[in-house]
Amino acid sequence: MKLVRVSDQIWEIPREGRMKVPGRVYSDGMPAPDDPALQQVANVAHLPGIVRWSLAMPDIHWGYGFPIGGVAAVDAEEGAISPGGVGYDINCGVRVLTTALSAEEIRPRIHDVTAQLYRDIPTGVGASRAIPRLSAGELEAVLSEGARWAVKRGFAASSDDASRCEEGGRLAGADPAEVSERAHARGADQVGTLGSGNHFLEVDRVAEVYDPEAAEIFGLHPGSVAIQIHSGSRGLGYQVCDEALAELTPSMGRYGEDYARLPDPQLACAPIGSDAGRRYLGAMQAAANFAWANRQVMTGLAVRALCHALRLSEGDLRARLLYDVCHNIAKFEEHEVDGRRRRLLVHRKGATRAFGPGDPRVPEAYRAVGQPVLIPGDMGRYSYVLAGTARAMQETFGSSCHGAGRLLSRHAALRLARGRSIGAELKARGIEVIARARKTLGEEMSEAYKDVARVVAVMAAAGISRMVARLEPMGVIKG
Amino acid sequence: MRYSLPQPYQDLSHTADLGVTVEGASAEEALSRLVLALGAVLAGSGTLEVAREETLAVPVRGGLAHGAVDLLRELLYRFATERVIPCACEVLRLDAEALEARIGFGRWDPARHADGADVKAVTYHAARLERAGGAWHGQALFDV
Repeated sequence: MKLVRVSDQIWEIPREGRMKVPGRVYSDGMPAPDDPALQQVANVAHLPGIVRWSLAMPDIHWGYGFPIGGVAAVDAEEGAISPGGVGYDINCGVRVLTTALSAEEIRPRIHDVTAQLYRDIPTGVGASRAIPRLSAGELEAVLSEGARWAVKRGFAASSDDASRCEEGGRLAGADPAEVSERAHARGADQVGTLGSGNHFLEVDRVAEVYDPEAAEIFGLHPGSVAIQIHSGSRGLGYQVCDEALAELTPSMGRYGEDYARLPDPQLACAPIGSDAGRRYLGAMQAAANFAWANRQVMTGLAVRALCHALRLSEGDLRARLLYDVCHNIAKFEEHEVDGRRRRLLVHRKGATRAFGPGDPRVPEAYRAVGQPVLIPGDMGRYSYVLAGTARAMQETFGSSCHGAGRLLSRHAALRLARGRSIGAELKARGIEVIARARKTLGEEMSEAYKDVARVVAVMAAAGISRMVARLEPMGVIKG
Repeated sequence: MRYSLPQPYQDLSHTADLGVTVEGASAEEALSRLVLALGAVLAGSGTLEVAREETLAVPVRGGLAHGAVDLLRELLYRFATERVIPCACEVLRLDAEALEARIGFGRWDPARHADGADVKAVTYHAARLERAGGAWHGQALFDV
């Protein structure tokens, strides 16, 4: 793969053949030219209606059609919508809650706190019934209302949580009628459940502050306790994506040569305005709302668990949602392109929105410093809170990285973990981990992941996001 | 011919997800082993006994590999909603138009199958069900 250096952090894949735009890769050093993810960046550049670049963030790795860490904006009228550009876990995302607690005061109780969270929030395969199974009508309300559905039912840190979610925790274009019975069946009893794999709930301490002004505004005080929740749309979202791919993969030829000649069938897509495109869009946005409701219910459960374990009132805990971001989504957004305002559909697959200071879409409380950008790392090291920048708006459609990205396959990680007690190793470093499946700790150990510090450093050096604070885990629950 | 767990399969090394490859003397054998490889991935090291049987039919659109993936998708849906895992398979029909299989399902047990994988989806990527080098090869990649 030919790569042209643009800057220390940016490499371009020149436009050639049927690519409509060049590829642009943010990277820690020169990307490996034979990385198959780079070919995917080039493939995405063939998408009908794509604007400016096919982008890749520094945590890029191979995915289905789109690389994970890929961003592609297409014209909202003429462009293609691609389920692979969102991913199976629609609106997988992360939120951070701040609290009035200090790490020092809860560290002696971290086992009790972690154990209570583990008891109260279903995790792992078959996780269900965090709340009673939803009726068809209730599930429809979840798919329409998103985070607000859960807040109305008392699952919240505070009553204004939804206002501190990307898009207010709800995509208005959701069409619950486009969510199939099968997706309903998979999701009806999964609201409020964590899932497995790289999903987690963490009790973190604010270990370091890089931007005191922004950290103060975000409510991140050195030594204070924060809660991170990383999860998505569970079986409902997986089923929506699965069905869309099954429908679109064999039928692209009907939309003309641009679609028929896409270089990778995994880039299954349809015109946004087509029947199939509209169906997927409506269902995907409904699934996104399910994910917001899911994370919101877990927020309420986590607040209760903390209060119970620490024998505190919610008033003493003073939990507050800092922000909630999507990592896998496609949304209509307005961006300035070549000097004019355009309405685009921005696919972010393993990438995070990172809107800059002054943008009216950023909550008013944060508008002066930019949108909080939440970047989870692995369970043994650290995560980061960044802020969006004006440069991100100019260069990446207001997008940044999303996490660490895997280095090792699950089998390779388990081989490396053989003979070790990952839980004991973490405990010796002051990190309490409880996981439902025995092999989770091996599969998810730090050595299996890239160092997220290097990933965020690229974004910071490129001016795409600004470092605000580093969080370090004290207690972790996983599936 | 009816095949039951355990059946041989190989893990495909993949950074983000799980993959399996199988071989068989016939397309039916390879497909049965692909079905049971999914069962093994879901069950982990736990055992299974057939608790119920079902005949499943899927159209073969876009080739045998595509049809195989569509069968596996049906099985995953049943795992997701009924908590049953395929542990026996007899292919009744496999041709350019349709695929039909009689599947024996065992019940998932959270304790016995605790190290089973949480498979989100069966993907079409790199799916194979084809004859090469004198044997039939099956391959599927699962999103986890």
